[in-house]
Amino acid sequence: MDLGEFWNKLANPDRIPRVFSLILGLFLLIGLFVPFSLNNEQLYPRPAPQEQMFAGDSIAPYDRGGEILETPGITVAQYPQYSKKIGMINSYMSPIAYNIKKNSPYFGTSIYSSPGGLIDEILYYTRGFDTILESTILMMAFVIASWLALNFTMRNKNKKDD
Amino acid sequence: MDIGSLGGNLLGIIPLGDIILYLTPLHLFMLIVILLFTFLIAVSRTETQVEASFEGLKDNKSTVGIAEFKARRFLAIVCGIATAGAMITGDLFNFILFVALTGIVNIGIVSAVKQIDVLNAAFQYGLIAMMASLPLFGGGAIILAATGTLSFFELANIASNPMILFGSILLLIGVAGETGIAPFFATKAEMFRTPGSPFILIIHLSSLFMIIRAIEILLLILT
Repeated sequence: MDLGEFWNKLANPDRIPRVFSLILGLFLLIGLFVPFSLNNEQLYPRPAPQEQMFAGDSIAPYDRGGEILETPGITVAQYPQYSKKIGMINSYMSPIAYNIKKNSPYFGTSIYSSPGGLIDEILYYTRGFDTILESTILMMAFVIASWLALNFTMRNKNKKDD
Repeated sequence: MDIGSLGGNLLGIIPLGDIILYLTPLHLFMLIVILLFTFLIAVSRTETQVEASFEGLKDNKSTVGIAEFKARRFLAIVCGIATAGAMITGDLFNFILFVALTGIVNIGIVSAVKQIDVLNAAFQYGLIAMMASLPLFGGGAIILAATGTLSFFELANIASNPMILFGSILLLIGVAGETGIAPFFATKAEMFRTPGSPFILIIHLSSLFMIIRAIEILLLILT
């Protein structure tokens, strides 16, 4: 098969996802032979696994320390000069979350995964622009999906009824 | 490679916490060009395609309805702004998000058309865009794991190693899939066969700009 024939076959849109996934799969196989090592000086550090659990912390494993508006907790920024108040509110808890924390040592994950339980400064402060973009991507997906649903699916149904 | 040696002198930065947008003559030029084109596309009207028909004297006119026109114009403007944002961003994950936003909006621009062939091609392109998000975000994650940072100002000073190289090529595969460049262009070429040229044009333009920026970013990371 000469090259021109190959290019012609590639011009069929049905084949493109297959070609793409094949190339991607082959390249990911190469990844098995690449030496991977985690750089320990990460920008967004986490405490050692289970460390807070063993210490008996009631909001383990996500305790970032600090006192609201008084002493900063552990949140590291790449450019601290542009986020001056960093760490000041990451120990904020809603009254309900605070009461659960006081009464039981077992709900750390639940508190932080519930709405209002967590003020993640990486999400909302140091990397807040990324969070805006992520929700924009979601919103555009909803715009497209709802436009299609309104104009194709529902209208076509009405046409059949007529 | 130093940021200045690729784009020219650093004119200024826009700090948004850890995410820093920066301007050099090259990025400023690309930003202004894409914003100008977005404005032109926002104020222009769609053309009407006329198809000659056999066995008669009638012509088929395929036009764009007002609802379709509005939806496509909105998505085209979002696409232009997302491309403009990717031109000046100084953060790797931020760039990846802009590319993903452009990808999904590109599908949206053609999803409103009525031609079945075009919708078919858009579906295939959507499949690639979905698959491409794996290497796109995975490449970014591998670079973050290897270097511990996402800012271009820091990444430019870090020496390359095989892991960073692997992550960068993965990122390039992701950008190639998401923007639909060769050899994955067939789906995009089919998507253009519909009336509504100004909105179709921004799909093409955003891919071009994204690829230029992606190559610059890879040079920053690797050299």
